[in-house]
Amino acid sequence: MRIAQEERAAYLAAGRSAMEAGPSWLKLGRHEALESFFRAGFPGREEAWKYTSLTALEKRRLHSPAPGAEFLPDSLPAGHLLTYGNGYALSRSTSLPEGMLGRLDVALAHTTLPAAARFGTLAGRESALVALDTALWREGVVLHVPAQWRVDEPIFIVRTIDEDGAMVHERSLIVLEPGARATVVELCNGRGDYWRNAATEIFVGARAHLSYVKLVEDGAAAIHTGALFARQEQDSRLDVLSLALGGQLTRQDIALDLAGAGAGATLNGCFLAGGRSHVDHHTRIEHTAAHTQSREAFRGIAAGRGRGVFDGLIVVRPGAQKADARQSSRNLLLSPLAEIDAKPQLEIYADDVKCSHGATVGRLDESQVFYLRSRGIGDVQARAMLTHAFALEACAAIAPGTLRDWLTQRLDGALDRLVEEGRK
Amino acid sequence: MGKSENVGIGDLMQEEYRWGFVTDVEQERVPKGLSEDVVRLISAKKGEPEWLLEWRLAAYRHWRTLSEPHWAKVHHPPIDYQGIHYYAAPKKKAGPSKLADVDPEILATYEKLGIPLKEQEMLAGVAVDAVFDSVSVATTYKEKLASLGIVFCAFSEAVREHPELVRQYLGSVVPHTDNFFASLNAAVFSDGTFVYVPKGVRCPMELSTYFRINANDTGQFERTLIIADEGSQVSYLEGCSAPRRDENQLHAAVVELVALQDAVIKYSTVQNWYPGDKEGRGGIYNFVTKRGDCRGARSRISWTQVETGSAITWKYPSCLLRGDDAVGEFYSVAVTRGRQQADTGTKMIHIGKNTRSTVVSKGISAGEGSNAYRGLVKVLAGADNARNYTQCDSLLMGSRCAAHTFPYLEVKNDSAQVEHEATTGKIGDDQLFYLQSRGLSAEDAVNMIVNGFCKEVFKELPMEFAVEAQKLLAVSLEGAVG
Amino acid sequence: MLEITDLHVAVDGKPILKGVDLSVQAGEVHAVMGPNGSGKSTLAHVIAGRPGYAVTAGEIRYLGQDLIGQTPEERARAGIFLAFQYPVEIPGVANIQLLKSALNQVRRARGETELDAMDFLDYVQSRLGLVGMKEELLYRAVNEGFSGGEKKRNEILQMAVLEPRLAILDETDSGLDIDALKAVADGVNALRGPQRAMVLVTHYQRLLNYIRPDRVHVLADGRMVKSGGPELALELEERGYGWLEAAPEARRARA
Repeated sequence: MRIAQEERAAYLAAGRSAMEAGPSWLKLGRHEALESFFRAGFPGREEAWKYTSLTALEKRRLHSPAPGAEFLPDSLPAGHLLTYGNGYALSRSTSLPEGMLGRLDVALAHTTLPAAARFGTLAGRESALVALDTALWREGVVLHVPAQWRVDEPIFIVRTIDEDGAMVHERSLIVLEPGARATVVELCNGRGDYWRNAATEIFVGARAHLSYVKLVEDGAAAIHTGALFARQEQDSRLDVLSLALGGQLTRQDIALDLAGAGAGATLNGCFLAGGRSHVDHHTRIEHTAAHTQSREAFRGIAAGRGRGVFDGLIVVRPGAQKADARQSSRNLLLSPLAEIDAKPQLEIYADDVKCSHGATVGRLDESQVFYLRSRGIGDVQARAMLTHAFALEACAAIAPGTLRDWLTQRLDGALDRLVEEGRK
Repeated sequence: MGKSENVGIGDLMQEEYRWGFVTDVEQERVPKGLSEDVVRLISAKKGEPEWLLEWRLAAYRHWRTLSEPHWAKVHHPPIDYQGIHYYAAPKKKAGPSKLADVDPEILATYEKLGIPLKEQEMLAGVAVDAVFDSVSVATTYKEKLASLGIVFCAFSEAVREHPELVRQYLGSVVPHTDNFFASLNAAVFSDGTFVYVPKGVRCPMELSTYFRINANDTGQFERTLIIADEGSQVSYLEGCSAPRRDENQLHAAVVELVALQDAVIKYSTVQNWYPGDKEGRGGIYNFVTKRGDCRGARSRISWTQVETGSAITWKYPSCLLRGDDAVGEFYSVAVTRGRQQADTGTKMIHIGKNTRSTVVSKGISAGEGSNAYRGLVKVLAGADNARNYTQCDSLLMGSRCAAHTFPYLEVKNDSAQVEHEATTGKIGDDQLFYLQSRGLSAEDAVNMIVNGFCKEVFKELPMEFAVEAQKLLAVSLEGAVG
Repeated sequence: MLEITDLHVAVDGKPILKGVDLSVQAGEVHAVMGPNGSGKSTLAHVIAGRPGYAVTAGEIRYLGQDLIGQTPEERARAGIFLAFQYPVEIPGVANIQLLKSALNQVRRARGETELDAMDFLDYVQSRLGLVGMKEELLYRAVNEGFSGGEKKRNEILQMAVLEPRLAILDETDSGLDIDALKAVADGVNALRGPQRAMVLVTHYQRLLNYIRPDRVHVLADGRMVKSGGPELALELEERGYGWLEAAPEARRARA
C-alpha cells in the first residue's frame, strides 16, 4: 500500500537531518530509496508476510529521537566495543583504526575507502523496509578487515534505544577481504515502544571467515524489523547466529549468497516467543556456485500467546553442482494458546546435489522426560533441562569459548523467564 | 544395451506417448466460448432441474469476478477461456443405456487403452464408468452393485435418479466459489461419476472411471461426488488419457468425497494425460480440485496418485479432518520430464480431536521437467493430540530439471505433533554401480532404484493398478538417466 | 527388598501382566526370562514407574513402601534403577550433565551433601573403568550417535554412579557382541553386593553365563509360570520356552 501524501511529510521531516548529510551520490540514493518506499508502502499482502502483520507499526506515531544513553549488558566479554544510543554513536573502545571499525557515514564521505564501493550493492530497494532504511539511516557502522588480517577478539556493537515512539534506522557494512577473520556481535536492546529498522550488508572475501551474531534483546513493547544480506566468495566461511530473545514483534530477514565455489555457511537461530510476542525469521540461502555447503538449524519456542514463524528457503541455482544443503526447523509449544508456523522450502535447479530439510512442531518428548525422571530428576527440572538443551543446539554455530558461554547465558536467562512464565 | 555407461538423455527421451490416438466419432459440440447462454444450454441439454441451473449460474457469475491464480510454480501462455468448447458429446440419438448401444468406435478406443468394457462384465473385479470427453458412456456392473444399494452411475443420471442425494452433497466439500477452476467447473461441468455407498456396506469391488479427452479444443470438466455413509467402505480408481494434439487442452475437474462416521474412502488416480511433445507443444493442463471431508468420527480418506502425464499438473487432493479420530492420507508419485511441470501436494486440515494424517510424496524430475510439492498441514486450536507425518523426497535426473518443496506447517495446538522431512538428490553413482556390477543394465538399475523410491506409494494402490503404475513409470523414464 | 504380589498391569487398556508374584531379597540376583511378548519389559518399566502403565490390581512394595503412585524420580531417588533396553537419545544434553544432576538428586534424597565439580569428576572417572567406557563419551550428548554397545555401557555407568539399592536390567544383553557383553557383565558383577539386589530381564541365557543368578523365573503370557535355581536357565536354553507354555500349571493359570 502506497504511503499517503500527508504521511510522507512526516517521514521527510523525521529524516531531514540524516538525508541532508554526506556526499551527493549518497544523498541522491537516499531520496530515490525514499521514493521507492513511498510507492511500495509497508509490506502486507505478499506471501512473505503471510504470518506477520505490520499494521501495529503503521498505526504508531513515530518520530526521530535525540541521542540516547548507553546500556551495556552484564558481564560482556572482553573485545572491541562500539555503542550507539537511538542511532547515534556514543562511545568507541577499540585498538583498531577508525578506518577499519567506525562510523559508516564518515567512511562513505571518503569514497576512496575500499568498503565504500560495496555499500548498497546487496541491500537494494526490493524490500520497502530496506529502502526506507537506506533513505533514513544515520551514522551507522563499518567494519573493514584488510586481506589476511585477523581480528582475534570479538567486536561488539551495542545498539540501545530508550525513547517511546522513536523510529531508528540502523545500518551496518561488514567487509572481510580475502583471508581475513573476524567475529561480530550486534546486540539490540532498549526500552519503550520504539521501532527499530536495521539493515546489514556482509561481504566475505575468498578464504575469509566471519562469525556474526545478532542478539535481539529489545524491550517488551518494541518492534524490530531487521534485514541481513551476505555474499560469500570462494572457499569463504560464514557462521551466522540469530538469537531473538526480546521485543513485541521481531522480524528478521536473512539472505546468504554462496557465490564462490567451495563457500560454506552455517545459519543458526533460536527464537523465544512468550506473552503476546511475535517472532518471525525469513531466511534464504542461495547456492550460486558449485561445491557449496550450507547448514541451517533453527529452534523455536512459543509460550503464553506467543507466535513463532520460521520461513526458510534454500535455492540451488543451475550449475551449482555438488551443492550440499541441510536445514532443520524444530519448534516447541509450551502452552495451549501459543502458535508456530513453519515453512521450510527447497528450490533445486541442479541434479548432483544433496539437500534435505526437516521441520517439527510439538511438545517435549515424553520418553526423554521419563528417562530423566527415572534417573531421579524432578519433572519440572527435567522439562527445563530438555528445553534448555533444545534451545542451546542453535549456539553450536559459534566456536566454543568465552563468547559462546556468554551467549549461552543470555539465552539461558531469557529461557528461564519464558519457562517461568509458562508455568504461571 | 550395448553402450551402457553413457546413454545421453537426449537420445532416449524419445519414448512416444503410446495412448495418443484419436477416435473418429461424430461429435456434437456447443460453440466455443463461455457465457450465461452456454451454461443454460449445457443445463438444458442434460435436462437438469431448475436448482442445478441456478447453482451453475451462481458459479458462473462468481467465476467472472475471479482471476486465474498464478501462485503455483508453473508457467504457461495465457489461456483463452473463450476459445474452448465447453461441451462435446458423441452424437447419439439418446444416451446409451446398455453396452450394446455404445458406439463401436468408442469401445475400440477403450480396447486400445486396455479397458475392454465388454470383458469387464464377464471378468470379475472392476466396475467401470467411462467418461469420454464430457459425457459418461457406459457403466458396467450396475445391477450387481444396485443389489447392495450402491449407486454408481454417471453424474447426470444421478441428478435424474437421486436428486435428493446430489442436492444434499453437491458443493458441500468444494463450494462453487472455492477457486477459479472449481468455479469454472461448477458452471460448465458436463458429466462425471456419482457414487453412494449406504450405511454399513462394504463395496465388494474396486470402482473405476476412465476419463478420456478426445475432441480438439475441448475442455473436460467432469465432476465426481462420492459419499460413503456411516460405516461403509469404498475403493475408487480413476485413470486418464488423451490423444496427442498440438494445442493445449484444459482439464478442470472437481472431486468431492464425503466420509461419514466410521466410513472409509480410498481414492486412487493413475493420470496419464498427454504431456505434450518434447519441445513442450500441446498437452493437457490438468487443473483439478480434489477434496475429501472426513465428516464423521473415525472416518478415513486416503488419496493415492500416480501422475505421469499432462503438460501441467496443478492439484492438491486434501482432507478436512473434522470428525474426532479421523485419518487422512496422501500418497503421491509425480513424474515430470520433457517440459512437463507439476505443482502438486495436499492439505491436511486437523479440526477434530486425535486426528491423524500421513503424507508421502515422491517427485521425480527428468529432462527439463519441473516438479514442486506444495502442502499445508494445519492444526486448529481445538484439534487436541493431532498427529502428522510428512515425507517428501525428490529424485533428480539430468542437470536441467528442477525440484521444489514448499510445505506449510501451521500449528495452533500445543498437544500436536507435526513432523516434516524432505530430501532431494540424484540416484547415487554407488547404487548404480553396485547393481550394474551384479549384472543389471543401467536402465534396469534405474528402474529398480526408482521403483524402490516409489514403493511406499505403489503399495497403497490396488494390486492390478500398482503393476500398471510401475510399467507407466518405466515407460515415462526410459532413457532418463545418463 | 522387592515384594510384588498378584500384579496386574494394562497398557492402552490391554492387560499385559495378569498376576505376577516376585520376591527379591537384598544381596540377591534374580533373572526374569521369557519369550517375546510375555510382559518382561512391562514388568521392568512398571517397577520404574513408566507413565501410561496402569496397575489394575496387586501391589509392588519396595523396602516395605508401596511404590504404586510414586513418580519415576521418587523411585529413582529411593534407589531404584532401570537400565533401558533402548536407551533414549537426548540431543543437546551432555552425558556428564545428566550424571551430575541425577547424582546430586539421589545424594540429596539420601541426606548426603552434593558433590562439587572436582569431586564429582573424580568420582565419575573412578567409575568409568568399571565399564571400560571412553571418557570422551561423557561430553557427548546422551546416547546420541552412540553404538549399541556404547549405549549399554552408558547405562551400566549410570548405575555405577548412582549406586542403586535395586537395579533392573532390561534386556541389557540384547544387540551386544561378546566383548561388549563381557564388559557389561564385569560392570554388573563389580556392583553386586550384600546391600544391593538386581533383576535381570532377558530373553536368552547367555548373559547368565557371566552373571550367575540366585533365582530364575519364567514369565509367559503375563504370569510367572516357573521358578528355580540357575539350572533352570540352562534347561530353558536347551528346551526353549514351548514346553513351559504348554505345561499344566501355565494352562491352569490361563483358564
